[in-house]
Amino acid sequence: MTNVSAGAKSMTIGEATLWPLFAVLAFLCLIGAGFAHDAPFAFHASLGCAASIAAAFAILNRYYDRPAKLPPQEINGRPNYNLGSIKFASVAAMFWGIAGFAVGLIIASQLAWPALNLDLPWTSFGRLRPLHTSAVIFAFGGNVLIATSFYVVQKTCRTRLAGDLAPWFVVLGYNFFILIAGTGYLLGVTQSKEYAEPEWYADLWLTIVWVTYLLVFLATLVKRKEPHIFVANWFYLAFIVTIAVLHLGNNPALPVSLLGSKSYVAWGGVQDAMFQWWYGHNAVGFFLTAGFLAIMYYFIPKRAERPIYSYRLSIIHFWALIFLYIWAGPHHLHYTALPDWAQTLGMTFSIMLWMPSWGGMINGLMTLSGAWDKLRTDPVLRMLVVSVAFYGMSTFEGPIMAIKVVNSLSHYTDWTIGHVHSGALGWVGFVSFGALYCLVPWAWNRNGLYSLKLVNWHFWIATIGIVLYISAMWVSGILQGLMWRAYTSLGFLEYSFIETVEAMHPFYIIRAAGGALFLIGALIMAFNLWMTVRAGEAEAARAAGRLQPAE
Amino acid sequence: MKAIVSIENLVSQFVLSFWTPVFVGIFLAIVFYALRPRNKALFDAAAKMPLRED
Repeated sequence: MTNVSAGAKSMTIGEATLWPLFAVLAFLCLIGAGFAHDAPFAFHASLGCAASIAAAFAILNRYYDRPAKLPPQEINGRPNYNLGSIKFASVAAMFWGIAGFAVGLIIASQLAWPALNLDLPWTSFGRLRPLHTSAVIFAFGGNVLIATSFYVVQKTCRTRLAGDLAPWFVVLGYNFFILIAGTGYLLGVTQSKEYAEPEWYADLWLTIVWVTYLLVFLATLVKRKEPHIFVANWFYLAFIVTIAVLHLGNNPALPVSLLGSKSYVAWGGVQDAMFQWWYGHNAVGFFLTAGFLAIMYYFIPKRAERPIYSYRLSIIHFWALIFLYIWAGPHHLHYTALPDWAQTLGMTFSIMLWMPSWGGMINGLMTLSGAWDKLRTDPVLRMLVVSVAFYGMSTFEGPIMAIKVVNSLSHYTDWTIGHVHSGALGWVGFVSFGALYCLVPWAWNRNGLYSLKLVNWHFWIATIGIVLYISAMWVSGILQGLMWRAYTSLGFLEYSFIETVEAMHPFYIIRAAGGALFLIGALIMAFNLWMTVRAGEAEAARAAGRLQPAE
Repeated sequence: MKAIVSIENLVSQFVLSFWTPVFVGIFLAIVFYALRPRNKALFDAAAKMPLRED
C-alpha cells in the first residue's frame, strides 16, 4: 500500500491525497466564511478553514520529519501497537468529561436558582443543556469508546491498527465535530432533535469521520493474527455500524442555503417523531450500551485477571441485545399520535430487553468468581464492578418505565432524568473511569497509577454524588407526576403548574450537590492521571523506600 | 399499481411476510452454535483472550 523503498523517501498515497484535499477544503471554507448568510456559519467556516490549514501543514510536517520507512507492523515478532491516537483520545475524554460535568452542574444550578441563566442568550438553559448532553455522551463517551476500541481491537487481534493517517483522522476529525457542535449550540445553531442537534454541515462531516472509523476498525479485524474475533470487538463493531445507520436515518435534511446554518429535516409529523426516538433510543442501546459493554468484556477480565465467566453467555447476550434493542424506541412516545400498536410494540420489546441486559450484567459480575477479594484492595476494579451493578439497576428500571401505566406517571417528570443519570453516571461514567484508569498506565507504559488512594477518594465521592442525584430525582419526579394528576373532589386540577415547580426546589438543590461531588471526583481523577503520565509510580516508589518489609 | 413478478420481488415479499420466523430461526441457530458442546474448547480459549500478554 505504500511506495517506500530502502533509501528514497516518498509520500504514501494517504499523505499525497490528503494534504491537497485539506488545502482545497481550507479554500472552500474561506469562501464559505466570506459569503455566509449568518454569523454562526461564518464562524464555523472560519474554524473549518483554520483546522484544514493546520491539517495540511501537520501532514506535510510529519512527512518531512518521519524516516523513509513507515513504522513496522511487528518488532521482533511482536505486534508494534499504534498508541498515538489512543493517547490523544484518552486526554480528550478527560478534558471533555470535566467540561461536560461542569456544564451539567451549571444547568442543575440554573434549575434551582434561575438567576444563573444570567439573562444572556448564550448562557440560557436551553442552549447549555444540549452542550451538557453532547459533551458527556458524544465528547467524553465517544473519546473513551474510540480510545478503548482502538486499543482492544489491536490487542485481541494481535496486530497493529490499520492505516497510517486514518486513525489520526478519526480522532482529530471526531473532536473537530464536537467543537463545531458545541460552539453551535451556544450560538443557537440546532436542528432541535434531541441528541442529534448538530446542523447539516456538522452531520456531513461526522459521516465522513465515522465511515473512516468503520474502515479502520474493519481493516484491523481483517488483518488479525487471531482466528477468533473476540466478543468485545463484536460489540464495538455493532456500535460503529448501528450509529452510522442511525445517524443517516435520523438526519437527512435540506439546507435552506449552501452557505447558511439552517436546514429542514426530511421527515415530518409523527414519522419524524418515530425516526427521532428510533435514533434516540438506539443511541442509548448501541452507543451507551453496546460500546461500553465491549469495555466491560475486555477490561474487567483483564483487571481481575480472570477469564470471562461464560463466553457462551456473552455470544447469546450480544445477539439478543442486537435483535431486541432496535425495536424499543416507541416507548419514548407513549400516549402520543403514534399508533397504539407501535407503542405496545416498543413497550413489549423494552420488557424483553430485561433478559439480555441482566444476562450481560451477571456475566460481568460473575467474572469476579475467585477474585472477589480484589474488590477490597483495587479501587479501579471496584469502580468497574459497581458500574456493572448500576447497569443492572438502570436496565431494571428502564423496562418498568416503558410500561404504559408506569409511563403515564413518569413521563415528562424528573424520574426520567434520574433514570438516565443512574445509567449515565453509574454505568457509563464509572466503566469509563475504570477503563481510563487501566488504559493510561498501559498506553504511556507506566507500571501503575500514581495513586490508588486517590482512586479510592474518587470512587467514594462520586458514588455519594450519584446516590444524592438519583434519589433526589426519584422523589422529585414521582412528586411531580402525582401533583400533575391530582384532582379535587369537584374535578378540578388540585395544583397549578407553578406549585409543582416550587415543590421540586429542594430536590434540585440536592441534585446539584450530587453533580458537584461527581465533578470533584473527576477533577481528582484528572490530577491522578496527569501525575501518572508525568511521574509514574513516584508515590509508590517513595512509599516503598519509607517502609521496610516485615521480617 | 400492477405488481411486477420477479425473483427480487418474491424474495422481498417472503422477507416482508415471514421476517418474524426468519429472525427467530437465525437467533435459534446462534443459540445452538453458542451452546453446542463441540465449541466448548474454542469458547474456553476465547474467554481467556484478554489475559494473554505479548
